[in-house]
Amino acid sequence: MLRLRFHGRGGQGAKVASRVLGTAAFLDGYNAQDFPLYGAERRGAPITAFTRISRDDIMERGLVSDPDIVIVMDETLLLDPQAMPLSGLKIGGIVFVNTPLSPLETKEEYGIEDHVVTLDITKVSLDMIGKPVLSSLAAGVASRIAGIGEGALKGALEKELSGIISDREILGKNTDAALHCYNALVPVQVKTAETIRERDNVITLPFEIARVSSPAINATGNTPLRKTGNWRVFRPVWNYDICTRCMTCVARCPEGCIRLNEDGYPYADYDNCKGCLVCAEECPVKAITKVREIHSRSEEGDR
Amino acid sequence: MGKEMLTGNGAAAWGVRLAEVDYIPAYPITPQTEIIETIAKWISDGSMDASFVTMDSEHSMITAAGAASATGARTFTTTSSQGLLYGFEMIYTVAGWRVPLVMVNVSRGLSSPITLGPDHNDILAVRDSGFLQIHCETCQEVLDSVLMAYRLAEDERVLLPVMVNMDGFYLSFTREAVEIPDMEKVRSFLPEYRPEHAFFRAAKPMAQGVAVLGGDFYSYFKYQMHLASQNALEVYKEVCDDFEKKFGRKYGTIDEYMLEDAEYVLVMINSFSTLGKAAVKRARENGIKVGLLRPRFLRPFPESEIKNALEGKKAVAVIDQNISVGKGGIIYSEMAGCLYNEVDKPLLLSFIGGLGGKNISQEEFEFIFEKMISASDTGIVEPPSLLYTESELEGMTKLKEIAGKE
Ligand code: SF4
Ligand code: SF4
Repeated sequence: MLRLRFHGRGGQGAKVASRVLGTAAFLDGYNAQDFPLYGAERRGAPITAFTRISRDDIMERGLVSDPDIVIVMDETLLLDPQAMPLSGLKIGGIVFVNTPLSPLETKEEYGIEDHVVTLDITKVSLDMIGKPVLSSLAAGVASRIAGIGEGALKGALEKELSGIISDREILGKNTDAALHCYNALVPVQVKTAETIRERDNVITLPFEIARVSSPAINATGNTPLRKTGNWRVFRPVWNYDICTRCMTCVARCPEGCIRLNEDGYPYADYDNCKGCLVCAEECPVKAITKVREIHSRSEEGDR
Repeated sequence: MGKEMLTGNGAAAWGVRLAEVDYIPAYPITPQTEIIETIAKWISDGSMDASFVTMDSEHSMITAAGAASATGARTFTTTSSQGLLYGFEMIYTVAGWRVPLVMVNVSRGLSSPITLGPDHNDILAVRDSGFLQIHCETCQEVLDSVLMAYRLAEDERVLLPVMVNMDGFYLSFTREAVEIPDMEKVRSFLPEYRPEHAFFRAAKPMAQGVAVLGGDFYSYFKYQMHLASQNALEVYKEVCDDFEKKFGRKYGTIDEYMLEDAEYVLVMINSFSTLGKAAVKRARENGIKVGLLRPRFLRPFPESEIKNALEGKKAVAVIDQNISVGKGGIIYSEMAGCLYNEVDKPLLLSFIGGLGGKNISQEEFEFIFEKMISASDTGIVEPPSLLYTESELEGMTKLKEIAGKE
């Protein structure tokens, strides 16, 4: 059985990707199961989804904790202590990372020892669809790595996307982009060993007094520790030559993360800016431009 | 219609569509929402012909469902968790009306603390209401059970509402291949509902669920519900036979997995039984004779079938995905009650597992098998215990530190 885990951010399409792959496997004659884990999440938050593919009956349920293949749709998740996309990956497993970096650079950059496959699917998406919506593209790369036939992928894209995209033209662009990604990857052989499990002993849960054991939080909130700034596809960049210091962007930012410098010009606190680009939209003189996060980051080197 | 990849929620919606339900009062709650979203979409695009009303709460929703059902309309509704509790009062009320509505409950752990993960305390809270309860392991079973539930509910020997239960997330949002039966075949299995007993008409004033100010009257009506519920076991057999003839899939009040020659038996309900079956398969490979029994019905409780299936077994371990606070596992108590008067009864062990959707790991199943074997060797049964591991406690300790607890 192949177990895949998709890691994306809310809105990127991890759930749809896992479904397209599930359907593709089903159309290719396999038993398949797919399952997203979500609930209280919102756009930008780390999301996981799973697909199981097997010739035999699938006698598993719930999340995949020992994947053979991990699809990382947003490379910033590799640094996220909550998402931990590589956790539980089997020996011999494959990591796909959506990045402009080469596999070797990615391995070095993030200290990954497993087999890494990369492709800048965000760029493909921007070029071919015009929006950073990654669901079908991630399904394309996942299908290639999982060894699913191109015809089955095509059928699955049609089936899954026609329910959510009514515009035939956009649907066609999605399919083309997904197939482009599928064919951009060299086929690989997934040769994972069975899971090596560390024995986790069943224990007797001791009694603890209510002050300790009731579900109340006694500490102040920990949200200042959780930065939203790694959710961006684009970041706003200010051009002070045009800016009139009208404060519109400051007032409109839903995160309240635009401050003023000594000269009264606005600047973003990038740790908390989620890249919604409301500021750029609202600026009356168009003094704010959007810059692809990955490029701006490598230029400025502020990782 | 062939096979499709469907979530448990999608399968439930298909069941409702194929049953040609007339009326659906709805109120959304995670993880059930996808069921009513799907149905609402079908009604709006014309692929399903039914009346759909969004209500102001589950309390009104269940009242409306009961009232509509009393007019002879085929009625469906669905909820989950806290929503079910909010409608609790009307659950008892409409069951007493003896109306044949079908309700899907998507199980989710009850507050507090708040969670979206599944366990069965929600559905078991309404265990004694008079609703029949069918519990499902797979998405296919969800669809099929909705169809069979209408046959059962509408049978004159039963006429009680039915709840079909599935786990949130592990079924509700999990897609697997589901055979969608052919509409014409479904019609031959489940014809249009034509109530023969009294039903509401605007032209003919009637009353339902009347006041009976006397225990002798009240006792009569309550016990009649009990008898009707027990009838359902017989009726369900007929329904299953007919279902198998028409659709080829075999169901029964209990599901038996590698049970025949088993010495040790796991008892589980709902979707995690799949994990139980996988554990049984692994244990068999290691030469341990285990099997699994999954009651598909909890109300009525299929006592004689369970007794038969467990005859001559050495030990039985019940894994309860619920907790009756201050007592322990609810199904354990049910099983103990069921087996108490048997002469040659197996030892009965109790484990609480999977609360709030917590995974039941391979180690935990192995732990249970070890306990069953040692109990049958020594004759000593250890007290009930929670399935919880060292690393889970470590995680909990860390969380408490973040929460500012010592
Ligand atoms: S993109 Fe602009 S408006 Fe949006 S969070 Fe960042 S600074 Fe604020
Ligand atoms: S809205 Fe535009 S012009 Fe006004 S302060 Fe912001 S960047 Fe400057």
